[in-house]
Amino acid sequence: MPRRRTGAAIPEMFRVMLEKPTTEAYPYKPIELTQRYRGKLDIDPAKCTGCQVCAMVCPAGVITMIELGTRKVGDRELPVRRPIFDLSTCISCGECVDSCAFNALELTKQFELATPDKKDLMMTKALPK
Amino acid sequence: MSNDQGKPTRREAPAGLIQYSVENLVPFGPIHPALKEPEYFKLVLEGERIVEVIPRIGYVHRGLEKAAEMRPWMQNMYMFERTCGICSFVHSLCYGQAVEGLTLFQTPRRAKYIRLIIAELERIHSHLLWVGLMGHWAGFDTLFMWVWNDREVVLDIVEAISGNRVHKSMNAFCGVRRDMPENMEDRTVERMKYIADRARFYREIIDTEETMLERTEHAGNKVSQETVEKLCAVGPMARYVGLRNDVRLNDPYAAYDEVPFDIVTRNEGDVLALLRLRLDEMVVSANLVSYAVKHLPDGPFRVLIPPVIPAGEHSSHCEAPRGEIFYYVKSGGDRIPERVKSRQPTMANLPTALEILKGQTLADIPVVLTAIDPCFGCMDRMSFLDTETNKQWTWSGEQLRQYGIRYYFPERFKK
Amino acid sequence: MSEVFTQQIEQFAADAKAKTSQPRKGETFVEVDQAKVREFISRLVNEAHVVHLSTMTGLDLDQNLGIIYHFTYGPGWVQVKTFVPKTAPTTKSIVDIIPGAILYEMEIHDMFGVTFEGNPWIDKKLLLPDNWPADLPPPLLKTSKPADIRKRLQLEAPHK
Repeated sequence: MPRRRTGAAIPEMFRVMLEKPTTEAYPYKPIELTQRYRGKLDIDPAKCTGCQVCAMVCPAGVITMIELGTRKVGDRELPVRRPIFDLSTCISCGECVDSCAFNALELTKQFELATPDKKDLMMTKALPK
Repeated sequence: MSNDQGKPTRREAPAGLIQYSVENLVPFGPIHPALKEPEYFKLVLEGERIVEVIPRIGYVHRGLEKAAEMRPWMQNMYMFERTCGICSFVHSLCYGQAVEGLTLFQTPRRAKYIRLIIAELERIHSHLLWVGLMGHWAGFDTLFMWVWNDREVVLDIVEAISGNRVHKSMNAFCGVRRDMPENMEDRTVERMKYIADRARFYREIIDTEETMLERTEHAGNKVSQETVEKLCAVGPMARYVGLRNDVRLNDPYAAYDEVPFDIVTRNEGDVLALLRLRLDEMVVSANLVSYAVKHLPDGPFRVLIPPVIPAGEHSSHCEAPRGEIFYYVKSGGDRIPERVKSRQPTMANLPTALEILKGQTLADIPVVLTAIDPCFGCMDRMSFLDTETNKQWTWSGEQLRQYGIRYYFPERFKK
Repeated sequence: MSEVFTQQIEQFAADAKAKTSQPRKGETFVEVDQAKVREFISRLVNEAHVVHLSTMTGLDLDQNLGIIYHFTYGPGWVQVKTFVPKTAPTTKSIVDIIPGAILYEMEIHDMFGVTFEGNPWIDKKLLLPDNWPADLPPPLLKTSKPADIRKRLQLEAPHK
């Protein structure tokens, strides 16, 4: 049978008054992220070869491959493709990063992505100029 | 009816299984921008006592089972992870285990230990959140604030391991996606000790503070063990009447057959027993995480498997913080599944919730409904019909909460 | 204990002229005819004390609709399968044997169109909206397309 008693919370009240606040003063102070934090996706265009494995494994439908023509290898015509990314749909899971055989993709620590226009989040730097 | 101090007591309602009766109620839209997930109850009252509860769910039904039939196996894992925010890892774990059973590959031991660590961390933060919510509905908002402070300790460890606080994306078929970082052992053991101390402190608070005792002792219709078994309740809703139903004990998955632990049961059958049970479970989980981090085996953490899963059917179940999660998977030997069925523990506990609400007063509704730990913020809109005076009205969740606090602690509102 | 239990299940299945199979250790599939499934389940509950029904699943096979009852007993499952033809999707409810099955039957009724006679709440909708058109087929059949459902319920997504 529990007995009623006041005052079980009073030492806690004193402890909390003397402790520094838990709330971080973001955005007036920078916030510290852990080493493994997964933020915005980034691509290195020099390393991308257009193998399209990243487009096949993406669970959120972020990556679309654009056909850019063909090139001759020996006596065969092979297609040339490059990806564009719709980062407003990206969930930063990292499947594309893990599956890229050429280490072209990377998840950065940038997380402030709010914008009034969705077109700001289309990443097309892998397309040739 | 009142006890010796002049406070109202709860009448014991006659035990009986679900019966169908009245319905002439006007439904009101339960969509409300301020609350987490909508649900809708129709309550039939007799004066102050509840006679009948009729649920209506499905307001956040997203059609995941149909969507799963159009996506490859691995992409479904990310979709099912987003079924729930609080128990997201266990959903992807259960789906992963159901699909792994169809292949011939084995999961490495190190991956099983890492899965155990993250599942137990999730259980700790879910129970902490629930204790805070009980404090909020009972009128003890300070408890809510303390608990939110303690959850940060757990979420920091989760972010250090997986990179994110809510949707961890750690599971893969036959393994985990990332290894544990170095130098986690000392930090984790120290923080788990802190969590266990805090759980014991909250236990002392709920045992002695007037606010919590008044609202939760003897709350909820007392039901027998046979009734709970026949209504197929899972998780803490079966363990608080004394049944030893826990998937981690009866059918061990991940690494639960190798680490020593014991489950917690209670006998009293009221909401105070549920509070004690979940706080004791937090201490068990903290000890499990400390043990697993110290005894982590070496070896690989993932085995890569081909994207085509052989034909067959398999099912798997896991112990989520709220109860038993069940997944059934049918494959036709293709890259996409033929049928995936997922059953969340709140749906299994709903008949029991309707049963323990009968005979309670209007002021008890928030506390008793939150006690089953529903995975929806259900007190959105409720429509009431009073059969004695034939009056109909509707209230929002905040109005119901204020009514409950005024009913039990009228001295706080006297001028 | 589980050897005795497996023999008990085989005995019940033989009495009901049902087919059993054990693809993996601990998991038993029993395919029962629709007329005998109620008796099989009541024997399972009353004599073998397998009380916990985890869930009920509906399946869309070409000519029939399948219903699977998943019973959990400690370290394994007994999955009882039965089939209902698409032209006459009606079967008897088991709510008087296991009251906890009431919501699962309502869900299969909403999603596949199977009617369970004897379920007291079978004419109420659990998951579908109140304005679901009566001539639209149930959503989880293979012939139902999400685009049709969106158009009929007027939920077209706005163009980007």
